[in-house]
Amino acid sequence: MTRPSPRTVRRLIGLMLLVAWEATPRLGLLPELFLPPLSKTLAVLWSDRSLYGAALLVTLYEVAVAMLIACGVGILAGAIVGGVATLRNLLLPVFSSLYAVPIVILYPIFTAWFGIGSESKIAFAGVYGFFPVMLSTAAGIRTIDEQYLLAARSMGATLPQLIARVIIPASIPTVLAGLRLGGALTIIGVVVSEMLTSASGIGYLVTMNRTILDSPRVFAAIIVVLVMSVAFDILVRTIERRTLVWQTAGRRTSSADAAVPARLATA
Amino acid sequence: MSRAAVILIRIAILAVFLGAWEVLPRAGIVNPMLLPPFSTVLLTLGEILGRADFREAMAVTTAEVLIAFVIAVPLGGAIGVLAAENEYFGAIFKPMLFYVFSIPKSIFLPMFILVFGIGFQQKVAYATFSTIFIVIMSASAAVESVKSDYVLVAQSYGATRAQILRRIYIPSMMPILLETLRISMIFNFTGVMIAEMYASRTGVGHMIANWGENFMLPQLFAGVIVLAVAAMAFNELVRTLEARCSTWRS
Repeated sequence: MTRPSPRTVRRLIGLMLLVAWEATPRLGLLPELFLPPLSKTLAVLWSDRSLYGAALLVTLYEVAVAMLIACGVGILAGAIVGGVATLRNLLLPVFSSLYAVPIVILYPIFTAWFGIGSESKIAFAGVYGFFPVMLSTAAGIRTIDEQYLLAARSMGATLPQLIARVIIPASIPTVLAGLRLGGALTIIGVVVSEMLTSASGIGYLVTMNRTILDSPRVFAAIIVVLVMSVAFDILVRTIERRTLVWQTAGRRTSSADAAVPARLATA
Repeated sequence: MSRAAVILIRIAILAVFLGAWEVLPRAGIVNPMLLPPFSTVLLTLGEILGRADFREAMAVTTAEVLIAFVIAVPLGGAIGVLAAENEYFGAIFKPMLFYVFSIPKSIFLPMFILVFGIGFQQKVAYATFSTIFIVIMSASAAVESVKSDYVLVAQSYGATRAQILRRIYIPSMMPILLETLRISMIFNFTGVMIAEMYASRTGVGHMIANWGENFMLPQLFAGVIVLAVAAMAFNELVRTLEARCSTWRS
């Protein structure tokens, strides 16, 4: 007997999870307070769609601004710190020590400074995404093959040519990895901060409905967050595939690829 | 640049940072209500460290972090090794783990509260949950980092399984294993903090969230300093070990 392909098994497991989500509460194996049936959750999501849509817009706005900060500043700072040897020796160890600090403890400071509106979420998620993006860019920028630089220089390339023809194409994989990491992290940062202290957004809906023990509405909000993070993942993957031709420009080592997910700090 | 110069410049940067923290609020450039001067924070720090309720909260948080760590690391390590050694199992579960890894774990906090309440168990359970995926992924990366050539050579010289494990697997995996310990502690600590800040009656996370809500900024900054120093101290400890072990691997 041949074993079914891993993909088939994965699909079966996914299907079983969905069926279990519907069946366990219906059969009374778990109280509906712990796990409301899938159909009921989806029905609630549909009937409250304008409420969830409005909350999603708030969350997406915060994610977009925070992502701009985390990725923009993070990639820039990472390129500078990683690219200049003096700065690298001086600052990189300091930044990787700071990375050990759970950034969520800064959130009360941000709410005290910026209030409980969107500003504190953007500030928190921006900082939350910044460090890993900076560290991964600083590490990635060094994977540019010295040989390319040497070859270009010996053929008489000027500095602008060197940047436009060698450094930028070679750093695209690094920048994309930074975007992927920063995006996933800012989504997490925004949702976490909305759950902690907030008056709007998807995270707020999770917390507000939890305090009134309205489980179907909690799970409806969870579904929205899951869909949001899957959608982001698919988006980045598509961009990565489109630019795959560029990626041969960088020296891609399997260890560098493995290091990227290991840096993903989730909360 | 010499090592001494690097350290001196780092100390200078720190001094400028702390000096600005002290001078800006004192000079009235920054509102001292929003940023209390560093010296005020230090005095508050001394005061809260002497308080019984803060020390009790520290003890609770430390216990939560340690227990979650002791559960998540061996369990995640075993699953990770299984996923790396058994190809079929790995092919099924690895893509799923990558996906679970990228979703925000904190949205499941309400489920943990519904099931476990808001006490000690819930903090440990949530921190374990938020840590275990990174342990699984790093452990399987550690196993995969062992060069198959070394294993082949050892086997052809007639090494036993135990010898291969002790002489090849453990030395090759050691740096990554230490890195795993370090990163999983970061996740673990973050998990406990979020759970305590979200809904709790005790713990340092609960205290700093409360201080923030009541606008007690000197206490809040002092609490943040204690937590940050504790996190960085553990991180540096493991990094020192990592640096020692990486000489094994060339």
